[in-house]
Amino acid sequence: MDAVYDYISVNTFWTILFIVHALLAVALLGALSHQAMSVLMRTRQAAGPAGFVTRFSSVHGASYAAAVCVLWIATFIFGAWIYTKYRIYVRIPIEQDGFWKTQGAFELKEHLATIGLGLLPIYWYFWKNARNIDYDSARKWLTVTLAAMCWYMFLTGHIVNNVRGFGS
Amino acid sequence: MSTTTQTAVPTQASSSLASSTAFRTFATVFAIATPIIYVTCEMANIPLFTYHPGTGTLNFGWAPAVKDEGPAMHWYGWTAATLLGAGVLGLIAAKLPGSATRRIPLALVWIAPLAAVPILIYALRFFWRW
Repeated sequence: MDAVYDYISVNTFWTILFIVHALLAVALLGALSHQAMSVLMRTRQAAGPAGFVTRFSSVHGASYAAAVCVLWIATFIFGAWIYTKYRIYVRIPIEQDGFWKTQGAFELKEHLATIGLGLLPIYWYFWKNARNIDYDSARKWLTVTLAAMCWYMFLTGHIVNNVRGFGS
Repeated sequence: MSTTTQTAVPTQASSSLASSTAFRTFATVFAIATPIIYVTCEMANIPLFTYHPGTGTLNFGWAPAVKDEGPAMHWYGWTAATLLGAGVLGLIAAKLPGSATRRIPLALVWIAPLAAVPILIYALRFFWRW
């Protein structure tokens, strides 16, 4: 890592890692939201006119599966990497300032990230067999579960960043 | 050479994995076991290892924070223990006969993680101070 620090400062390096983590999370959130909407709104696609919601949910869900798996893993790796700095430079000040609920929300985020990782193989399998109606219900609710987890993690990460952002 | 021979060529690896019953069993058990093992590891505090970010050192199993050397991190160890445990269970399940593994309710792959959430929220009760 010392070779990198010859060109950029330590702060810049970790800031870049955090921004990559955040951008990957945005892509993951978008992909999972589209996919979850596509499984929840399937029956309404044919009934209603092509408004924003219909267009948002009118995606080929199966084509998102591999990307979601890759994005979840990549976001997880970057998150796990910057977590070492978070533990020292962010969590300790958060605790000193008494933001206990914010810290608790972050703890739940890390739990969900690991649990979501364990769901990816069967999620991928279900979507690779998207034509198999035996998996329809499990695929639908697993996708919605992962999307809900992703939304929670994204919003919590955003809140924690607001508590302890740049220059603080 | 007949056309029959040409069509018998196996499909690419990802397709064969997606059509594999053994992989389906592995993935199903892996998904169900992950939240169960993770909640157990978190509540009983059983990490595979402990990381000390202040010094960059690792300890096998659970270890406390060392005075004046910063905090101890157990999440990496919980994650490693969970993935290892769920992986082993998944591999064992994949070896079982299909008649047994087909009885596993697929709904558990999303019910188990959802059921883990209130337990984890309870486990974090230290932080819910009003």
